[in-house]
Amino acid sequence: MTPVLAVENLVVHFPARHGPPVRAVDEVSFAIAAHETLGLVGESGCGKSTVSNAVVGLVVPTGGSVRVAGVEIAGADGRTLREMRAKAQMVFQDPATSLNPRMTVGAAIGEPLLVRGIARGAALRERVASLLTEVGLRPEHATRYPHQFSGGQRQRIVIARALALRPALLVCDEPVSALDVSVRAQILNLLVELQASHAMACLFVSHDLAVVRHVCDRVAVMYLGHLAELAPRDALYTTPRHPYTRALLAAVPEPDPALQRAKLRVPLQGEIPSPAAPPPGCVFHTRCPIAVERCRREVPEWRCLGETMVACHRAGET
Amino acid sequence: MTSVPMSGSAITPALAVDDLTLAIGGVSVVDAVGFSIAPGEVMALVGESGCGKSLTAQAMLRLLPRQVKQAAGRVLLGGEDITALPERRMRRLRGRRISMIFQEPQAALDPLSPVGAQVREASGLARAASRDAVRRMLAEVGIADPERRIDQYPFELSGGMCQRVMIASALIGGPAVLVADEPTTALDVTIQAQILDLLRRLAAERGTAILLITHDMGVVADIAERVAVMYAGRIAEIGTTEAVFAAPRHPYTSLLLAAIPRLSDAPKSRLAVIEGSVPTPPEYGVGCRFAGRCPLADARCVAEQPPLRAMEGGHLSACWHAERVA
Repeated sequence: MTPVLAVENLVVHFPARHGPPVRAVDEVSFAIAAHETLGLVGESGCGKSTVSNAVVGLVVPTGGSVRVAGVEIAGADGRTLREMRAKAQMVFQDPATSLNPRMTVGAAIGEPLLVRGIARGAALRERVASLLTEVGLRPEHATRYPHQFSGGQRQRIVIARALALRPALLVCDEPVSALDVSVRAQILNLLVELQASHAMACLFVSHDLAVVRHVCDRVAVMYLGHLAELAPRDALYTTPRHPYTRALLAAVPEPDPALQRAKLRVPLQGEIPSPAAPPPGCVFHTRCPIAVERCRREVPEWRCLGETMVACHRAGET
Repeated sequence: MTSVPMSGSAITPALAVDDLTLAIGGVSVVDAVGFSIAPGEVMALVGESGCGKSLTAQAMLRLLPRQVKQAAGRVLLGGEDITALPERRMRRLRGRRISMIFQEPQAALDPLSPVGAQVREASGLARAASRDAVRRMLAEVGIADPERRIDQYPFELSGGMCQRVMIASALIGGPAVLVADEPTTALDVTIQAQILDLLRRLAAERGTAILLITHDMGVVADIAERVAVMYAGRIAEIGTTEAVFAAPRHPYTSLLLAAIPRLSDAPKSRLAVIEGSVPTPPEYGVGCRFAGRCPLADARCVAEQPPLRAMEGGHLSACWHAERVA
């Protein structure tokens, strides 16, 4: 079966005014099947948002391939991209800036249907009403403007708009990061339900490892433009193979004082290097607690270790 | 000072707040908040946006926005009431007896001034704090190569490093109290772990009392010895972190804890949800402000404001049904 999304050797470099290009994404490969949610985690600047933007055609890849439902979109013409966008929709972090303040909620949700000539008039109003209900709002909300809603409600509106065309792939870039804890739970519950009921493939980008574990089936960890590890959820969280994954997991403060204080603390030292001048060899070696001479020279190959894919020379020995 | 929940020790608290009430145009946005912090102790003030935690923090240094007035209450710094001090004297206390750090370190630093100069300026003793003292302070907050960093500008430093600079300028005057308003919210998780370690060490080694404002229960669990949970301008519950997390005695705390995805829960399970949204100040009724969203609420909750009362395990809860909270 063709995966809904197949990314192969994706490379995205951004030219810099001075000096070498910023290597935002380097040789990233993964695939997502229908019904499946893949989490993409990493710290700021690791390239996770660039990957999600490249997947929906908002960023032009420097190299590699991105196929949505079998159709190549890297280097595709406008018409192909337009068709692709009906299949791949996106939800961004900040719902306040994702909605046009001068457009009613109904107009925003209905626009994709109208533009593509799928529905109009009474049929359109009916579709919008059912989408609003589906995301936990009421049909009469259609006539209101975004500023009349809370942050959580606005994110529901954004989700309704993304679902309007019944996409095969939903890309969520930090969809709950701007929300308060109690509202975040509502939106996560909604996303889990919708993904299952719509049988969508979902790419879920987040810096929050607990949130990703909650909603995803498989998880990919990125560091400085490279994939460090990709594994089924339970494997990644119980037997992380890459030292960076381990460090990330150790750094998440668990909301449980007993657990948290019993943790062995080995905070990662140092800062993330600049993606314009990534270190040679393994990009993580400058902060890696188990790096050896080989890691400074040789780029680790992306290899299989049980059900895990990992890029580390020392994975498997520790 | 009968209503101030004490930290349990007999020594004078580094910071004590009694019946603090802050109002915007006659509407109280922070209502009768009280707590105290012992030297070397880390206390967290936790809550969602709009609960009044940041205004409470700003009131500690009398740095409230102009439209917010302190309507009642006292703030005691090492036993001394600073509420009525003239601004001229207050200015002398800031940085020396109480300091503050903020969420966005890059925004809080002056982009046009080298970081070393900013740390020196914060010492309040323009020249007395020599380059040497500044360098030592930068080293103490974990800045590698302070001799080079001291002359650099904020844009040349990462977010985590800027937060260290801000902590250095907050501490160089040797304050007894540090107010930290979401100090790690803008930072990545591995950098957050470094900064929390630093704060923990400073409290232990320098005996600095830290009031930590946060929305992150994970950060509370990591670093705070005690925690006050705020909701709609009031303290819902206050106690040791262990007690509050193990056996919350306010339905809001209990639901909030259940709403957080954890590394230990069942994936894709339904998270607990608090129905509705936080009331705005004009919507505050006479009773419990959580009543409209509370599964345990009854007629009394709507009609009568529950006082903070002592529970088993030594913590205080402002809930008529505290004994029934699961």
